[in-house]
Amino acid sequence: MTALLEVDGLRVLLPGRRAPITVVDGVSFEVGEGEIFGVAGESGSGKTISSLALLRLLPRGATVEGRAVFAGVDLLALDDRALRKKRGLELSMVFQDPMTSLHPMLSVERQLTDHVRYHLGLSRKLARSRAIELLEQVRIPDPETALSAYPHQFSGGMRQRIAIAIALACRPSLLIADEPTTALDVTVQAGIISLLAELRRDYGLAVILITHDLGVMSTIADRLTVFYAGRVVESGPMQAVIQDSRHPYTRGLLEALPHPEATERRPLVPISGAAATPQDRPPGCAFHPRCGFNRDSCSSAVPVLADIGDDRHSACPVDPFARA
Amino acid sequence: MSIVELSDVHVEFHRRGSPPVRAVAGASITVDRGQIVGLVGESGCGKSTLARAACGLLTPTAGSILFEGERLVPLTRRARPLEQARLQMVFQNPFSSLNPRRRVGSQIGDGLEILAGLSGAALDARVAELLEQVGLPATAARRYPHEFSGGQRQRIAIARALAAEPSVIVLDEPLSALDTSAQAQIANLLTSLARELEIGLLLISHDLAIVRQVAHVVSVMYLGVIVESGPTEEIWMRPRHPYTRALIASVPRADGSGVLPGSLPGEVPDPARPPAGCRFHPRCPIVVDRCRSDVPGMVTVATGHQAACWLAAADTRTVASSAPPAGSPGQA
Repeated sequence: MTALLEVDGLRVLLPGRRAPITVVDGVSFEVGEGEIFGVAGESGSGKTISSLALLRLLPRGATVEGRAVFAGVDLLALDDRALRKKRGLELSMVFQDPMTSLHPMLSVERQLTDHVRYHLGLSRKLARSRAIELLEQVRIPDPETALSAYPHQFSGGMRQRIAIAIALACRPSLLIADEPTTALDVTVQAGIISLLAELRRDYGLAVILITHDLGVMSTIADRLTVFYAGRVVESGPMQAVIQDSRHPYTRGLLEALPHPEATERRPLVPISGAAATPQDRPPGCAFHPRCGFNRDSCSSAVPVLADIGDDRHSACPVDPFARA
Repeated sequence: MSIVELSDVHVEFHRRGSPPVRAVAGASITVDRGQIVGLVGESGCGKSTLARAACGLLTPTAGSILFEGERLVPLTRRARPLEQARLQMVFQNPFSSLNPRRRVGSQIGDGLEILAGLSGAALDARVAELLEQVGLPATAARRYPHEFSGGQRQRIAIARALAAEPSVIVLDEPLSALDTSAQAQIANLLTSLARELEIGLLLISHDLAIVRQVAHVVSVMYLGVIVESGPTEEIWMRPRHPYTRALIASVPRADGSGVLPGSLPGEVPDPARPPAGCRFHPRCPIVVDRCRSDVPGMVTVATGHQAACWLAAADTRTVASSAPPAGSPGQA
């Protein structure tokens, strides 16, 4: 697999009341060309902040360390101007709520063409026909009329498609999608998932798909990484991580979910305790207080994300689910 | 006798200069003691409006709402009859439904003071009992809501509802703001409360997987009407309304299979201008002429299982089966 993006030792600190808080604590992962890479985790796990760090969209006062090599260039080492040239052109992002991520007072045409004209210097006419092409690509009916409309005139699913069209306007090779379907109805979500699958198939678009929803991951992710309290706890091919999880947190998440495909109802098994927050990260393995396989060593050393073969990694030295 | 009986409820909203929106157009639901009734549907289906009407937060335009056999008195500035305090509600957002400036114990204690006339040590003891019932320590009473996580706050909201000794609790999306594990914990809590305290629950949710897990019976809403209802497992395994089938097919399964969920073409129409005949007909994969003009009533397709579809009675396919229905041209 050719790595399109290699993130190595990413650390993000945000200002806290007394001291900076390490929200992302040394995260490493790789995204291949044309693959859908899932970043799973619950709120506070650092999955969104990690991606915002790549695009330099963090709040003022944030500190970022580590490397993020995208198509041979370390994004974190670029100056602001150089990064702005890449952002929107080579890699772009869509967010959870299209009602707040789209500009309410600019027409769809404006939002689709502004950055195209900035990055590619297209004339207004060319930019407009590109915009129509994009709306067709994301299956917005009657694109010509849609161009002169405003976001509030569309449904949530349509708005998200428009947001995706905007993100794809300059033909980036990587799209970061942060909970793109969470705010949508499940039937609408299915349409967006299909759209992402088509984009991967027809245009070789790589996607970093950030979502807490392991069901969504199951439908479309090629590889998957699981975040907990700002660290990666498990990663690998999606099917392996979901069907044969090696980290107790991943297993715990799957057991806490209702499984619609099950032929009979089993009780939901919650993970005991509450999720660790970056402010209160337990020593050693952040998950140890909630873990059924907790040993003394788990609270002393921060586990390393170890290679467990088959392109899989797990940050559990106890490795209770390994097969002999 | 059901504790809550909604019969042919309509709720209409009027807007100046626009046609009125009939958010609920004839819905009937009952909730019995100890029964968990799920109400599912997508945006614009009217489930939250129906939930609010069921508590008296909205007055229905037509139809009747009975609580313990009596007409439910809407919540206005005048006090509701005390018996009707046995109908309680838990809201979606645990961050805004608790008063941030009052200690948890005093918020739970409101119901005890007003309804049971408790005070002092007796009040404190009962608050402690309620907190423990929802899985929180008694010491939580002295703290403020912001000191708790979303899941814990939702437990506090449930304890507050339990303080009124309810016979029915209406819960509007109680789990959607919570993380996976907190969802599991609260879902299990609701199941055990219904069983142990014999409280009826009307659980409104867009999350079919959770509703399948928790509810005994489920009603599916689309654009203001109930299109299917019945025992949860029966509906899940043998859905008879095309919308229910589409809904179930589009729920992603966390099974690592890489199978894309089925999507439903088209969009939910404007509730102010619903389609004629069956409201689902413009998006229905098996639409026939009759659907465009005649509104289907609920037909019984199995014990306790009803669906509002002209083709429901004849069609005995399950979701997984692709065999055509008996008697159709494709068969020998």
